[in-house]
Amino acid sequence: MAFDFTGFTIAFASVYGIYAILGISLNLEYGYGGQPNFGQVLFYGLGAFVGGTAAANLLPTFAGSSIGNICDVSATLAREQIALAYPAVSVSVWVIALVLAMVAGGIVGIVVSYPALRVKEEWYLSMILLVAGEMFRVITMNTQQLGCGFNGLGGVTTPFYWLSTYFPSSTLQANVPTGLYAVVIVVLALACFKIAQRLGNSPYGRLLKSVRDDKIAAESLGKDVSKVRKQVMIIGSVMAGLAGALYVYYIGVASTDDFIPAVTFSVWVMMILGGYANNRGLLVGTFVITMLDRGSLVSGILLQSSFPNFSANLILYARYLVEAVILLLLLVFRQKGIFPETRIKTKAYTLFDFGRKTRLTGSNPDERQKGRVTSS
Amino acid sequence: MENISKAFGGVRAVDEVTLSVKRGSITGLIGPNGSGKSTLFNVISGVEKKDSAGAIEFDGKRIDRLSPHKRFELGLGRSFQTPRLFMGMTVLENTMLAAKGQKGERPSVAPFPSRWEGQEIELAKRAQDQMKLLEIEQLYGKLPNETSGGQMKLVQLSNAMMGDPKMLLLDEPTAGVAPRLAQDIFKSIAHQREQLGTTFFIVEHRLEVLFKHVDTVFAMHQGKIIAEGKPESIVKDQKLIDAYLGS
Repeated sequence: MAFDFTGFTIAFASVYGIYAILGISLNLEYGYGGQPNFGQVLFYGLGAFVGGTAAANLLPTFAGSSIGNICDVSATLAREQIALAYPAVSVSVWVIALVLAMVAGGIVGIVVSYPALRVKEEWYLSMILLVAGEMFRVITMNTQQLGCGFNGLGGVTTPFYWLSTYFPSSTLQANVPTGLYAVVIVVLALACFKIAQRLGNSPYGRLLKSVRDDKIAAESLGKDVSKVRKQVMIIGSVMAGLAGALYVYYIGVASTDDFIPAVTFSVWVMMILGGYANNRGLLVGTFVITMLDRGSLVSGILLQSSFPNFSANLILYARYLVEAVILLLLLVFRQKGIFPETRIKTKAYTLFDFGRKTRLTGSNPDERQKGRVTSS
Repeated sequence: MENISKAFGGVRAVDEVTLSVKRGSITGLIGPNGSGKSTLFNVISGVEKKDSAGAIEFDGKRIDRLSPHKRFELGLGRSFQTPRLFMGMTVLENTMLAAKGQKGERPSVAPFPSRWEGQEIELAKRAQDQMKLLEIEQLYGKLPNETSGGQMKLVQLSNAMMGDPKMLLLDEPTAGVAPRLAQDIFKSIAHQREQLGTTFFIVEHRLEVLFKHVDTVFAMHQGKIIAEGKPESIVKDQKLIDAYLGS
């Protein structure tokens, strides 16, 4: 089997953009805000299923046709035909699906953060979210009415699928819609990056970091810690919902198999690898993990085609081993990630007229704790 | 405050305390270690909830049911005995954080720098003046854990003052600070009181420095206020002498 470089690049860019949005979301929540979200996959999966269900229902409605049960194979094929024949419907349904996925992410963000905001120790939040993520997957998998249950919800094509009718070559038919969609995903990821950078390098970034570093001190300086925690959970959840909807439109099916807890931990490795509260570092960490993700997938398929007895799963699962090794090496040799946290870039520093970049040390919560004076 | 108590398990750390601090005064709170001074400050600032009875009034408003951030908004600031600074932020960021009414602290405004940068520069000027006053301007780009314990105390004081408080609760502001600097801190406190009319309520073990600047002193022992008065008279109070030396 020949290696399809264009196809690989398109897939890589798409997955990279989606993972980057997830990573930026987690970095805002934990890197800046100190809210350990171990249930990132909940918001991601929710976005995928809400986006997929919206697409499955709205496409025929907007096109004025009835396709019956959205889970039937005939309905899946009918959706693909509608996406081919109605460009305006296809794109507008996609936009609506993204918005609905973001809204759903935000609402669930508020709901799950409600009990968590009232616990003194934020690591309880991580446990609540971890369980909530897995509950969502198991319930969805076993409920036919939610995203077609175990079989998943298929027939979700890219919003530019109709472009394939304009090209005679099968390669272009496949690559143009997916390539354009990959560009859109990367642009949306850059928009999320820009928003995160601006939030981080503003008084709001200071506010988030103050809640992260010492919530009692932040409260004593007039900061409404509960409100800030809720806000950052909503922002992060909206972004994760967006990533989920983008993913289902990329992969074509909303399947519970894609939303296992390991996804959350991959996003954590991206953040830890790149650097807490450093969005640029996060993009590098995401690149490494995406390369691992796509590389393991492609190499597994190529090896299996050359050696029929070889199991591709061996490499797919080896990916998680490599992630674990990366994590261990980071914890031993570079706790602050590849790119340590930098100071908040606002014009306040221009008054002090030194303009030097300050690398922050002690961005790891434990190190920050060590820095505190223990007696007076 | 009237009839305020706080118990931890069976220990009454603060025991039916009633006191009032005069607006614009510098008031001291002294007492042996473990007498309940810091707990009293925690109760006043809202870090700890008082036990059921009693009331705390500040500037004519009852505040004991308010959260700490609401008390700060009303003008009640504080510093901690063990400096609680934000270790992932520079000294300048720590100081600027405390300023009230920052437009850029709203997530809907923060992504648009043009809407908050003007205010940011004004706040930076204020922070610079504040830091100059406490001689910590040169620390602006350092992280708190790159500074000494005494400097951390000053940074914390600078943070508390940036919030334009009407009243500041300072818990041992000169502990771990060089003697000369301790004098300077109290001069800054006196200056702030004169310039802005800020009220100070200060827990301090360095009585020689405290007594030079305070108007009134409360003495605390085993959770109770055992003496109150001018510095020159309170040192002669037998109950206080007994509390420090043991009776």
